[in-house]
Amino acid sequence: MANWKKIGAGIAVIAVVAAIGAGGWAWHSLNTVASNVADDTTRLADFKSTDQAAIERGEYVMRLGDCSACHTRENGKFAGGYEIGTPFGTLVSSNITPDAGTGIGSMTERDFFNAVRQGIGQHGMLYPAMPFTAYRKFSDQDMHDLWAYMSTVTPVKHDIDENAGMKFPYNIRLAMAGWDMLFFDNSGFRVDGSKDDAWNRGKYIVDGGGHCAACHSPRNMLGAEMGSAYLQGGNLGEWFAPDLTSNPHAGLGTASAQDIANYLQTGSDGVAVAAGPMAEAVEHSTQYFSKADALAVGTYLKSLPASATQPGPVQPVDTPAMQKVALAYEVNCSACHGLGGEGIEGMVPAFKANHGLLSSDATNMIHAMLQGARAAHTHDRQTAAGMPAFDWKMDDRQIADLLTFVRNSWGNTATPVAASDVGRLREFLKASKKMATP
Amino acid sequence: MKRRDLLRSFGAAMTTSALVSPAAAAELKGFPEQTAMSADHLPRPAMKGGGFQVFTQENDRKILAAVFDRLIPSDKFGPSASEAGCLEFLDDQLAGRYGEGRALYLEGPVRPENEEAIMGSPQFTQTPRQRYEDGLKALEAYAKATDGVAFHALSPGRIDEILSGLEEGKIELPNGVKGKWFFELMLQNAREGYLADPLYGGNRDMAGWKMIGFPGARYDYRPYIERQGENLKLEPVSLIPKD
Ligand code: HEC
Ligand code: HEC
Ligand code: HEC
Repeated sequence: MANWKKIGAGIAVIAVVAAIGAGGWAWHSLNTVASNVADDTTRLADFKSTDQAAIERGEYVMRLGDCSACHTRENGKFAGGYEIGTPFGTLVSSNITPDAGTGIGSMTERDFFNAVRQGIGQHGMLYPAMPFTAYRKFSDQDMHDLWAYMSTVTPVKHDIDENAGMKFPYNIRLAMAGWDMLFFDNSGFRVDGSKDDAWNRGKYIVDGGGHCAACHSPRNMLGAEMGSAYLQGGNLGEWFAPDLTSNPHAGLGTASAQDIANYLQTGSDGVAVAAGPMAEAVEHSTQYFSKADALAVGTYLKSLPASATQPGPVQPVDTPAMQKVALAYEVNCSACHGLGGEGIEGMVPAFKANHGLLSSDATNMIHAMLQGARAAHTHDRQTAAGMPAFDWKMDDRQIADLLTFVRNSWGNTATPVAASDVGRLREFLKASKKMATP
Repeated sequence: MKRRDLLRSFGAAMTTSALVSPAAAAELKGFPEQTAMSADHLPRPAMKGGGFQVFTQENDRKILAAVFDRLIPSDKFGPSASEAGCLEFLDDQLAGRYGEGRALYLEGPVRPENEEAIMGSPQFTQTPRQRYEDGLKALEAYAKATDGVAFHALSPGRIDEILSGLEEGKIELPNGVKGKWFFELMLQNAREGYLADPLYGGNRDMAGWKMIGFPGARYDYRPYIERQGENLKLEPVSLIPKD
């Protein structure tokens, strides 16, 4: 399972620090008046929706929000238990089945709205590892439907003490108030009348349920998304979520809205193939997007002004030293990625003009080399092709050289990869060292 | 089940196979998520540094080098077997699973009378490591008895004579060592050491592969399929390249 949710670490830690620093109370960020549209009398355990249309719409909202990514583990559907490691202890995702004792069965619809949209759960303020900051944008209608869907989930008895593994003082939920005050934009989605419906729908999904910025925006030192670099790429530690703006070099500048839609629905746009946490997001969430919604997301992303990222200086690869690397590429990679870096459409990523890989942050490429990767398994693309790991057969320098070659061949230009970066990730991922030979 | 019991019961199993539940097979669902290699799928490189583990006696190494370098002598096509690391290769193999005969059936035959006929090839109850221990002793004893000198001190011509005699089954070695079979074991291992991937200790600098024009551990030959009748001059590649 991807550790990207380690971002929760930063957030959880910072939450406390910020709270102590702020030392104040944040009325606006804690204002729950938006939940008043929901019923506050019937508990989930006592309610079972019979409105089939609402239930189906609610299931779709669940897919948009990718709730199961964090709430479904081996304990049963939505029974929680996903552990998010932080330097200050372990946070565990909640059991959100309608079980009254151990799940959210004793929540009313209003409690549920408060938890999902406001970050206020049964036991107090939620750690922002639960992406309520994005879910705040969910419309009332979507929330009502989601509630209807949750009522059909089979109750599972599975007791979870979410923050028992967090050390003092990080286990004090009230501390989250400070973080919320600083970083929680407690306002719903606002339609931009100057844009068309598709654009607005796309923004609604990207900023709301899809919580795309949770990964694709860089975070500041306090673990909050940086609005000034919105969707310009975020480092998740062992993965990098690329620039989604129209930057022609490292972003989506050369992709069409339809390419983006294809990527979300199938895991590939014909050039790139989703890996790591994005493969998971595609598998569990975006492949279920309707055609119209996927295209709306593409339309919205294409409207984002290009980030300022510039291509790296040209790195010549026709030097004698690079000839050896070219041989290593032919011998180890070309069978799948192609002699011309063309890949295998929809299955193995191309390198030629694969802009998501040309950012100055080469984490994904290094990660794939050290641990391998598995493409998303989707309805349209069933192969889920695998990228083998090369940690056992190449040292840091060999991997760095190969990636520098790939990033600067076939018309690509990108910064060279440093052997020290490979070494750092190798250690972090606990990948094995190159085998010693006679 | 012992191998020969298995062989004998084979006919019976075939006729009664309808009774064998197919559900005994493990059923796999989906696909493995991880693509990193697990330890048991990785090659086991030979490592220098600790010195020889099986051939700890210098005289044993000398005998073996004398034999190996007649089987593959140094010439204009490449280095000799010992120069290419075949002793180190064999020592490493004999120190591990191969030497222990892990993949071999080493119990006595059920029916000794005609076991060679049944199996179609000679059978051994000794591990390869034990066969080398006995075989090298026997070679040394043979040389002392017939020529009065240590085996490694024999002239190349004389060694060729003895090896030919062993190969043709005309020479019997002392202590019940079957000369022909020991010769074949050494020949097989010398070839393996000369042509296995360098990561196993032999085929130093890929000399064996360069000699025969084998391009090594390459993944894909599609770029070359069309280029028939041409010397492609492909540089050989080890599975774990040094640089
Ligand atoms: C990125 C991971 C993640 C995703 C995605 C996620 N959650 Fe959560 N959720 C958590 C964690 C972690 C907690 C526990 C936080 C805490 O206790 O402070 C939590 C807590 C909750 C709670 C509060 C439970 C309680 O007992 O108070 C509810 C309700 C909830 N989630 C519903 C949802 C729904 C509905 C979705 C999808 C729209 C969703 N979550 C998506 C991680 C996630
Ligand atoms: C057996 C086929 C195969 C071979 C050989 C192979 N790859 Fe891959 N590679 C893949 C597949 C399939 C993916 C897509 C994995 C995914 O999407 O999770 C991939 C993904 C990648 C990625 C990550 C792309 C991303 O989206 O982040 C990089 C970088 C990469 N390969 C580099 C290489 C290099 C360099 C070599 C040679 C040393 C190589 N690969 C050899 C099949 C292969
Ligand atoms: C859990 C973190 C995460 C979330 C949430 C996430 N992404 Fe990604 N995304 C990634 C990573 C990591 C990659 C790089 C994948 C790779 O290297 O193959 C990526 C790649 C992409 C790409 C390909 C970029 C390119 O240039 O090839 C697109 C498009 C994309 N994401 C869109 C989205 C959208 C739209 C959403 C929200 C609906 C989203 N992502 C949510 C982590 C995430």
